[in-house]
Amino acid sequence: MGVLLAVAVASGLPAQGRVPPEVAAVVEQLADSAAAVGLPVEPLREKAIEGGAKGVPGERVIAAVRSLVARLGQAAAAARAAGLAKPGAEVIEAGAFALNAGLDRREVEALVRRSRPPYTPAATLRVAGTLAALGVPAVETAQLVEQAMDAGETPGELLDLPQQVERGVARGASPGAAAAGLGLGRATAPGLTQPHGSPQGPQGQGQGKGQSHKP
Amino acid sequence: MKMEYHPLVKQLLDGELTFANLPPELRAEGEQALRWVGAIDRTPVAFPAALDERVMAQVRRHAKSPAGRAWRWLLGSREIDIRFHVRPWAALGLAAAAAVAFVVVRPRFETAALRAPTYVRFIFYAPGARTVSVAGSFNQWDAAAAPLVPTASPGVWTTTVALPLGQHQYAFLVDGVRWVTDPTAPTVDDGFGQRNSVVAVAAQDGGGRAL
Repeated sequence: MGVLLAVAVASGLPAQGRVPPEVAAVVEQLADSAAAVGLPVEPLREKAIEGGAKGVPGERVIAAVRSLVARLGQAAAAARAAGLAKPGAEVIEAGAFALNAGLDRREVEALVRRSRPPYTPAATLRVAGTLAALGVPAVETAQLVEQAMDAGETPGELLDLPQQVERGVARGASPGAAAAGLGLGRATAPGLTQPHGSPQGPQGQGQGKGQSHKP
Repeated sequence: MKMEYHPLVKQLLDGELTFANLPPELRAEGEQALRWVGAIDRTPVAFPAALDERVMAQVRRHAKSPAGRAWRWLLGSREIDIRFHVRPWAALGLAAAAAVAFVVVRPRFETAALRAPTYVRFIFYAPGARTVSVAGSFNQWDAAAAPLVPTASPGVWTTTVALPLGQHQYAFLVDGVRWVTDPTAPTVDDGFGQRNSVVAVAAQDGGGRAL
């Protein structure tokens, strides 16, 4: 009981009143194991809290957290294989997100390897993950991001890729076709009018204040 | 002493009922209440005529005290002239030092800017909804943390949330029971058989921007 209470206090999960103590205890064990191999633990706690907030049964919350541990581990392994001796939490989390969005480990590894300055692995993986989450097939996603870096796009232009694909989709193109049109460097996809790498500045800049998240 | 009267007796005391309207079983209580109220001394309070003078004497005594004068001197405003006699070589030296300080300190400000949150506006169309909120990894999935408010356009709800750098998953909670993804945002599997919407805030130009 004392151990359980200590776990509860340390994790802060039951303090939220939304995660049953027995689930919190298992999550903390998983978090300890993850931390021991250099994985970030905050996403695990967040996933448990999310499950509690959504009223998900405890065993399903634990299964989701286990799955997330595995994904974080895969992302960390991919980053290490790409040459990052000790990948940071940001890179690992971005890699896990890209994996969850549909990329595979080899694609994550390739993107990390190609992310040399001025590009950062975390930003590259986020862009790729967001493209995949938009529905761009994983292979085309990886190709598009790599082509953009090869073409010397600025990091800001790289961040623009998801919005450019969204614009193409809004005009009737499929996500894959919109991405393919961008990759060709010209507006070939149905409904696409803005060529890839056009000088139009990214939207919502200016210290990032007061942006609208696409309604 | 704590006394709780029957509501009808309270109405009697408030003048909303007459004694004749009171049910017979409450009349004893009503009489007692009226006696209590009647016993209250309603004589207007009259202050002695010298009170004003005594208060003002205290104020004047405080105003004359050295501590009071010092306090007012500290807080008061006055004009002062400050003149510098600067030699040109010293001015150049100061300018160089300021430039070095700017170069050293500026990156710290830029780092702080990167940590500054980016404000993202969420807009959701939910006609007929009674409440809408947005919960996600940025607010510990607390549905009470970011309620949306209805706009002038019927069915359109909105709120603005400060998001830190990073990838965030979220969903809208409609009427406190129904989790709904953002139809205009990318989505990923939430691990529980549903999907979460995704918004990413990336560092750019010393600040942040949503992907």
